[in-house]
Amino acid sequence: MKPLQASRRKTPAVGLLAPASLLYAGAFCVPVLLLLPASLQLYVPNQGIRPHAYSLENYYRLLSDAYYLEIFGRTLLLGLVVTAITILLAYPIALYLARTRARYRNWLVLLVIYPMMLNLVVRTFGFIALLANHGLVNDALIGIGIIDSPLKLMYNFRGLLIGLTQIYFPFAVLVLIPAIQSVPTEMEEASRTLGGGWFTTFCRVTLPLTANGIATAAALIFLLTESALVAPRLLGGPTYKVAATLIYDQFLVLLNWPLGSAATWILLFTALPIASFFGLAARQWSAR
Amino acid sequence: MKGKIPVAVQFRAAALATYSFAVLALLLLPVGVVVLASFTRTSYLTIPPKGLTFRWYVEVLGSPSYVRSIVLSLGLALTATAVAILVAVPAAYALARFRVAAANLLVALFLAPLAFPGIVVGVALLQLYSMMNIQPSIGRLLVAHLIITTPFVIRAVLATLRESSVDLEDAARVLGASRWVAFRRVTLPLIRPAIVVGALFAFIASFDNFPVSVFILGARQITLPVKIFSSIEYGVDPSIAAVSTMVIVATGLILVAAERWTGLHRAF
Repeated sequence: MKPLQASRRKTPAVGLLAPASLLYAGAFCVPVLLLLPASLQLYVPNQGIRPHAYSLENYYRLLSDAYYLEIFGRTLLLGLVVTAITILLAYPIALYLARTRARYRNWLVLLVIYPMMLNLVVRTFGFIALLANHGLVNDALIGIGIIDSPLKLMYNFRGLLIGLTQIYFPFAVLVLIPAIQSVPTEMEEASRTLGGGWFTTFCRVTLPLTANGIATAAALIFLLTESALVAPRLLGGPTYKVAATLIYDQFLVLLNWPLGSAATWILLFTALPIASFFGLAARQWSAR
Repeated sequence: MKGKIPVAVQFRAAALATYSFAVLALLLLPVGVVVLASFTRTSYLTIPPKGLTFRWYVEVLGSPSYVRSIVLSLGLALTATAVAILVAVPAAYALARFRVAAANLLVALFLAPLAFPGIVVGVALLQLYSMMNIQPSIGRLLVAHLIITTPFVIRAVLATLRESSVDLEDAARVLGASRWVAFRRVTLPLIRPAIVVGALFAFIASFDNFPVSVFILGARQITLPVKIFSSIEYGVDPSIAAVSTMVIVATGLILVAAERWTGLHRAF
């Protein structure tokens, strides 16, 4: 009976997996890999892509020109700062939502999910209404008399920082809640019984036990920020660029697809290793 | 009981709760601002709104380009979600119930688009389509959106199948049910809530998508997020606030319905 079943179990699995495998191969793996040869080609303005000529020219240009380097540096810095601030601000809320026994707890969680599910363009539009020169924030601050002229909150680092932190905030909270919930409260109680204050207990027990959750959240936020397109474009305008808006312009405005493809690989090769480094660091930390 | 909790502990709990409520309020502020701005009588965006009018809603619903975009985005999201279920459920079932070579690798691949930058998928497909000389069409957009929707359904169904035992299905088989009957009568009812939650996320992800759509749509397939985006770039006015408010309300209703129906908060 057993060997018969084992041999019978192989055949249907292939058929069941075939549609998904074909879809992913054709619309995900192959196109992404094809960006690599594309990035080695050369685009000549008014002539198009030069045929049968492959070189590292695009990469050289992107990594030596100060203009492009500033964009990639800014993207990296933005990603790191947004990630750090988001985790710091999100942890207390996740702690509250993970531990509270309030009746309305589920609705509070839903209020965190809600903005996350809300259309990004719509949310960013809200930030424009808030942060513009005559937006709510500036009008309120001028009205109270704290400032005389509007603060510049758009088309600069500050604006992108505020927008992106808010936009990716719910992701961090929702990753951290289950991580905190999985810490057995007995361990915290044991630490308290042994004389640890609440702060010591938090730093020595709760925080290390949630290191993996923090790393997962950090990796996710970092990846999302590095590749963010909508918010940087609308809050940063066409001139204050990050990597994703650079790629957007190369593909849709300047039509230099090879340079855009090279920029895409540089984005992937900086963002993915750093994101996976977070996971590695967490394993070190929780093993200590 | 309450009297026994030390004051310091109570204070810390209250501070944590206050902080949480404050940040939640801040999180919802940009949403509230958009809703308010949509009712203004002025032709420019202003908060608080001056006067009260539904003029901008009438304008949006009377604009053929907005209506076309709304219909297109709804249809695209519905189709992409339906096809995703047909593709994802068999795949998740095979991965959870059969011995598959390199199963872990396949799972990682199937879930990869959830964390993979959307803009990369967008430019990659744009390049592939142009190499194969496939002109802009609904089909081109649909294939791209399948990469967005499918991972959500696979993730949800796979999680449920993995934590439920095969005993029930085996029992059905021993009692003479064919594999198909066992699937339809035992497994399917078991994973139905997971399909609903996965499909819900898939639908919203497809409806909201900008970074993939913007690269591959043609002039005749402007999805709603791209339409709102280009309206903002063209110049901010209250009709954008009105169409945004429609999206805000619709998303809210879907979430509340999903919470009532399946207990959405448990998906996290």
